[in-house]
Amino acid sequence: MDFDSPEENEFPGLYASEAADAKSKKSKEESDYSEGDHDKHSKKDLLIGRRKDKKDKGKDRGYAALEGESSPEEELDTKSPSKSKKSKTFKFTSSKSKEKREKSRDKEKETKPLEEEPAQKTKDKEREKEKDRHHDEKEHKKKDKERKEKDKKEKFEKKDKKDKKSKQLQQEDGSAVEEVLALGYPIFGVSISLATERSRCHDGIDLPLVVRDCIDYLQQEQSLKCDHIYKVEPIKTRLLHYKRLYNNRDNDASVDDIPTACSLLKLFLRELPEPVLTTDLVARFEEVASHPKVTEQQTELQQLLEQLPKCNRTLLSWILLHFDAVIQQERYNKLNAQSLAMLLSPTLQMSHRLMVVLLCHCANLFPDVKLIKYVPPLTSSSPGLPDNPDDIKTELRKQDSLLTQIHSEMNAGFITKKREEQLWEVQRIITQLKRKLRSSEKKLEKSIDELDSTISAPPARQSAVQPADLKAPTNPSAVPTANASEDTIDSKSVPPHRIAPMQQLDELSIATSPPPIEYTIDKQTGYMLLSKTNPQRDDLLRLQIEYDELMNWQNELKTRILAERNEIFRMKQFYEQEILKPLVAPTISQEQLPSEGDYERIIEHYTRENALLEHKKQMLGTELKEERRACIALQVELRMQQF
Amino acid sequence: MSKKPTAGPALHKVIMVGSGGVGKSALTLQFMYDEFVEDYEPTKADSYRKKVVLDGEEVQIDILDTAGQEDYAAIRDNYFRSGEGFLCVFSITDDESFQATQEFREQILRVKNDESIPFLLVGNKCDLNDKRKVPLNECQVRAQQWSVPYVETSAKTRENVDKVFFDLMREIRSRKTEDSKATSGRAKDRCKKRRLKCTLL
Repeated sequence: MDFDSPEENEFPGLYASEAADAKSKKSKEESDYSEGDHDKHSKKDLLIGRRKDKKDKGKDRGYAALEGESSPEEELDTKSPSKSKKSKTFKFTSSKSKEKREKSRDKEKETKPLEEEPAQKTKDKEREKEKDRHHDEKEHKKKDKERKEKDKKEKFEKKDKKDKKSKQLQQEDGSAVEEVLALGYPIFGVSISLATERSRCHDGIDLPLVVRDCIDYLQQEQSLKCDHIYKVEPIKTRLLHYKRLYNNRDNDASVDDIPTACSLLKLFLRELPEPVLTTDLVARFEEVASHPKVTEQQTELQQLLEQLPKCNRTLLSWILLHFDAVIQQERYNKLNAQSLAMLLSPTLQMSHRLMVVLLCHCANLFPDVKLIKYVPPLTSSSPGLPDNPDDIKTELRKQDSLLTQIHSEMNAGFITKKREEQLWEVQRIITQLKRKLRSSEKKLEKSIDELDSTISAPPARQSAVQPADLKAPTNPSAVPTANASEDTIDSKSVPPHRIAPMQQLDELSIATSPPPIEYTIDKQTGYMLLSKTNPQRDDLLRLQIEYDELMNWQNELKTRILAERNEIFRMKQFYEQEILKPLVAPTISQEQLPSEGDYERIIEHYTRENALLEHKKQMLGTELKEERRACIALQVELRMQQF
Repeated sequence: MSKKPTAGPALHKVIMVGSGGVGKSALTLQFMYDEFVEDYEPTKADSYRKKVVLDGEEVQIDILDTAGQEDYAAIRDNYFRSGEGFLCVFSITDDESFQATQEFREQILRVKNDESIPFLLVGNKCDLNDKRKVPLNECQVRAQQWSVPYVETSAKTRENVDKVFFDLMREIRSRKTEDSKATSGRAKDRCKKRRLKCTLL
């Protein structure tokens, strides 16, 4: 399809000359599998063989036998647009080379009728093999036919868009059977990286959506425990239906029965043009699998896994951990590593032994990978947007990822009414999320500002305190209360400063402790001292001293608060006692009572005076705090000198 | 988010275009939420939906606020394609932004391939009349050339903000009714033909 090299499209005979020698190379391998394998492969394998050979000429092909089993070439073929040319070139070359290929040649002849009719014969031969492969073969053949027609029509078309159109044209003709793509960018039959890119999971896990959906479905407990898992055939039309949905990114409804989910996953894996373990590395994986020492296997596998492309590694980790989860439920589903490998190793294009080895090590190989159920980005029909800033950010990332994908698809020419609607909708959700995030950030800022202002110079507090002072200026208990509240605030202001160095210290000690860094503990102070050469020595020391000083300050403030509280308590008691003998006071006050106007003036005077004093006190308070901080800084420097 | 499926009130899709910093987002936010944002933050793309009453009929307006910067031109086409009406905004205090409208117009016509697409030329920041760089008659001449209305707005004072959106929606609406008439007209023709046949029989 679109991703194939253009020169093949343009020059159908380009590889014809290579085909001959590729064939002779291939023919040996062929005899390995042609006995028990599908007839048509012989031809296809040959054809791909030359493509592959072209790529890895001279490479070790020790895994050839495996390929025979699982026939990766078939998959390669399906995605190749040059089928028609191939059959032509094939005929041409086959007449040329005759050495020791009698068998395969006979079969080649058979392939012709086979292509017209679904693979009946192959079925008989393949019974022991995976059953559902037949579906695919049929499907592939249909696809092949389709492509051939198309290629004949549009041999010289290069652009994907045109490709797409041609498919739509075909649909109108009614010639296309099941694999009509609204989009020239299928998910099935392309490389893992392409499939991942084309149908992303928008939560940052690089898996093609179809794989994720299938695994999500199968990871449910009832699925894992079901004895149908990986054993029962799905309804073929259903399977193809879902394949088409995913290929068209139309997957609103995800898979909802076990056989279809299993087969869809297998179908995806089988149609990969290259094994998950990559053509380059699969042989080395096989070597490791035959290694006698199990302990060494793991480290070697680890090293090989490092070399895999990231998306391959992710895919491998997910499917293996999923398969592991399946065999954990052997009691219910009657599948153990051996039997599951029997069922699935051909799909994965690896030997039974390798798959068993991978299954046995997978928990250790991928300790960080967790199979998390995919929560797709919200849509307008979702109940509501998240409120928590972190959730908003997560959702925003998903939506952004989705938007990027929509844009790239639209830029590539995939434009439908539905897509456009989705584009606006996603954009709208993003805008809303951003607004929400911004307003919540503003709220946070505001509350921090408020906190700051109440800590340093609380105007709100002041005004709140003043009325209390006003109401009962003669009340002796009011003033200390205000003072006490100020002090509590003051002491509250300490923790942030205190916590910061503490955290730093923690981080520092965490950061420094794991490597064997030499340090000594000062006996007098208990400080951790790094060796003199360590550049972080001073920092660490300073922070420790600062921490101590701040702790002292905090204790001092705490004791003061306690003292003030005691004072309040004492005064309250005193006040209550005074109230008990009320008769004495009025007589005195009556005598001193001035005229109305004087009274008001005095109140005003005291109010102003009090406000002024309160303000002064506030200023002095902050000044005191600053001085104290400077003091501590100096103290720290002083003590630094001691070390 | 849409509270009702699309089967509900009519939906008009409006797209804001224009150079960076001319006040597309300010106009949009003023229209949407009655707020004026002083601080400038470049938009990549934002989309809003609002229910409004247009001449007694409840309709929904989708507003897409696009990026003025060229950096996002690649994604702009995707939006232009689905837009039904355009507000082409420039700042009357910035001649370059006025000159750029020409290009935006061309871009839209290229994508939509339709000369009579609902379109308004909007001169924003009319509260800064003392700093005006683009003479009024020049704007009117250009609008006449394109045969589109010209309106001056101020996102700050809300002057004409509702007007531009509502005027554009009216244009979109009349355009849609025209289109549907055209198609139903064709349908009528077909009916006539059939009837003719019947009478012949």
